[in-house]
Amino acid sequence: MASLLPRATKRLRLSPPSGFVCHDCRRAFGSSVCQSQQQQPAPSQHVSQSEKTTHFGFETVAEELKASRVRTVFSSVAANYDTMNDLMSLGIHRLWKDHFVRSLNPGIRPASTASSPQATPGQTILDIAGGTGDIALRLLDHATTINHDPRTNVIISDINPEMLAEGRKRFATSPYYSTSTNRRVSFLEANAEDLSAIVSNSIDLYTVAFGIRNFTHKQVALQEAFRVLKPGGVFACLEFTPRLSNPLMNGIYKRWSFGAIPLIGQVVAADRESYQYLVESIERFPSQSEFAGMIEEAGFMVPGGERGVEGELESGWEDLSLGIAAIHKGVKPVSR
Amino acid sequence: MSPSLPARARLGPFASQLRARCSNNAVPGRTIISSSASPATEPAPDSLDKPQGSRRKPLSAAQKQFLDRALRVNQAGELAATLIYTAQAPPINKAHPHLRPLMKHMYDQEAGHFKYFNEILAKHRIRPTAMYPMWSAAATVLGWSTGVLGREAAMACTEAVETEIGEHYNGQVRELLGWVEGMEARGEEVGEELQGLVKQIRRIRDEELEHLDHAVENDAKQANPYELLTGVIRVGCRGAIWVSEKV
Amino acid sequence: MALRTILRAPAAVRPLLIQPRALYHSYEHNEPPPYRDAESAILSSALAHVPLHGFTEEALSLGAKEAGYLDISSNLFPKGAFDLVTYHLVTQRLGLKDRIQFHDEKIGVGRKVRSLVLERLRANVDAGVVGRWQEALALMSLGENIPRSLKELSGLSDEIWFLAGDMSVDTSWYTKRATLAGIYAATEIYQTTDQSTEFRDTEQFLDRRLEESRVAGSAVGNTLEWIGFQGGAMVNLMRSKGARI
Repeated sequence: MASLLPRATKRLRLSPPSGFVCHDCRRAFGSSVCQSQQQQPAPSQHVSQSEKTTHFGFETVAEELKASRVRTVFSSVAANYDTMNDLMSLGIHRLWKDHFVRSLNPGIRPASTASSPQATPGQTILDIAGGTGDIALRLLDHATTINHDPRTNVIISDINPEMLAEGRKRFATSPYYSTSTNRRVSFLEANAEDLSAIVSNSIDLYTVAFGIRNFTHKQVALQEAFRVLKPGGVFACLEFTPRLSNPLMNGIYKRWSFGAIPLIGQVVAADRESYQYLVESIERFPSQSEFAGMIEEAGFMVPGGERGVEGELESGWEDLSLGIAAIHKGVKPVSR
Repeated sequence: MSPSLPARARLGPFASQLRARCSNNAVPGRTIISSSASPATEPAPDSLDKPQGSRRKPLSAAQKQFLDRALRVNQAGELAATLIYTAQAPPINKAHPHLRPLMKHMYDQEAGHFKYFNEILAKHRIRPTAMYPMWSAAATVLGWSTGVLGREAAMACTEAVETEIGEHYNGQVRELLGWVEGMEARGEEVGEELQGLVKQIRRIRDEELEHLDHAVENDAKQANPYELLTGVIRVGCRGAIWVSEKV
Repeated sequence: MALRTILRAPAAVRPLLIQPRALYHSYEHNEPPPYRDAESAILSSALAHVPLHGFTEEALSLGAKEAGYLDISSNLFPKGAFDLVTYHLVTQRLGLKDRIQFHDEKIGVGRKVRSLVLERLRANVDAGVVGRWQEALALMSLGENIPRSLKELSGLSDEIWFLAGDMSVDTSWYTKRATLAGIYAATEIYQTTDQSTEFRDTEQFLDRRLEESRVAGSAVGNTLEWIGFQGGAMVNLMRSKGARI
């Protein structure tokens, strides 16, 4: 412990957020999420020239080792995915996900369908990086029990087959997948930056919960989301934020996340490096305002997005638990 | 000292010396900053006098915020100035009847400025400062107490207040001229509103600096304790400006 | 810098503080519209469903579909039905200047204020939302919506004083706006229960409130004037006795 804390604080103080393109994650987390994306060189590394070469050098070496290691590392993570999240967020992630789905209000209420003559065939929801299916299950539960909509269906997409296998396991016992007549879940193994398997303008709701952080090219993924969504369709993302708005709370939170989470990972899963990666990937994610700007740049309308005096977005997202995580949304405009 | 002065300020020796003190400080950002640079170094864009067409771009939110704050402070400042002179006048005029025309001249100018900013605030829907009663009371107390202390103290008060106000206006003029230059560079037209504002604030600034010279000519430096008195008043002025920007 | 961020008011409280809304108003260029085209399209069609469906998510979904959007598109409005209420408030506030024009220069500011308030209340009737306005008031009084509601109320009060041609820029700027906001809010609540033809009771209610505030205002004004006069007289008396003040 004593050796851990100074390391954590040093990281906090010395490294700028972009500096977290670190060897830990390259080495350890050439995992599912990075796997295919790593094949393209990642241009988003804003490290200085001298660092870049060392990192790049380290990375090439690591990449060979990765391919063999990734599968084993991530399949074990996949099995403990929920436990991992529970530890990461002290169980609060369940509340966040519930709130996320409730605020989206998926499903079409019969009453509103009745008033328009042509009955709609329910919504098509695409759940990106939703391998284990926890969001998909919540979406379907909400549509079915709250909105009495038995037709809305979900496509669960993930880049990692092990994660999808977890999802299949979870849905095997649910009514949404077990009956072969009305299967409301399908599984898709795809990279979120290239959803060529999905037709343009076909999706009502695109969700990604704690996934977009791991994409190499977030802007490309956003553009792909814009393509597959119907006009009027909604992009929704639940993600950790790099820092809390209150610097005092931020200091406490960072100390905890950098100090305790890797330690928990070491003790519970004997996998310190994966957890170290998780913490660092959060640090590298753009701030709420920046990310809302990226959503706008992809062509979406950001709900409630108001610009401040300096022209930056001041609102347009929902902070959860003091801003540890945030919900971002974007609506694809109908072109006239 | 003749009370009939030209409307445009004659720049007295002390005022220019003061203005030259830190002449090359650029005005950064949109915060209201005071400038003691000499008016002679101001840029003189042509479009300040050209008639305006319709090739205009709306002011940015930051620019609007600047105007909102600056004009609110200006109104509060002129309110304080008129009240200071009002309160100073009876004791000073009684003790030094020869100063009566000067005091009246300075008061009349301040009253004119106050009226101008009142109209501008109402026209452009700018909220007056919420500290209005507070500044009224403070200015009256300041004017009365320096008036009672005597001619030198009253003049030192004028000197301190006008130095701060002059620098404050100077900063605004520079900021606005910066916008005008930017608009010219982008091929936009400036618009009568902004033209009028720059010209008026410039005129008012020159008149305030003229008061400063009058104060120095009337032995402001002889006030005892001069440094303490002017120091306290100037710090107070700066604080009041800072507060009035916000509330 | 860090201290500044700590001291910064939390986002929820900010609208309650001094509002940046009353920024420099330019006559040379128009203000940007308060809503994006898509938002206006959805909200205005949704408003047409309010008389039947009330200020509800249902009306919002119907509006979205009429404007060519999907059910799920109501996610564009983070506060749901309250955004519908706000839309009505904002558009009616901005539309007030087109609803009424004063050509007679001789009408006093007080008369103009009265006409403007009545015109604004009539806008509720014209939009057909009076019957559902209690729902809107209920939404507006929810804790999380109160800052925005108060902001709109003060915005309307400011608009009315401006349109009435009030030029005061001293402390009365604040008292006038606060008083009128109170009167307007009370009258609007009264209007929701008014059963009389053409809302004549509401008009009388408004007149009573305006009269009360006029009486109270002049009482305060007279008192202050009296205090000022007495103070001045006292100072002059002492000066005449030779005191150097």
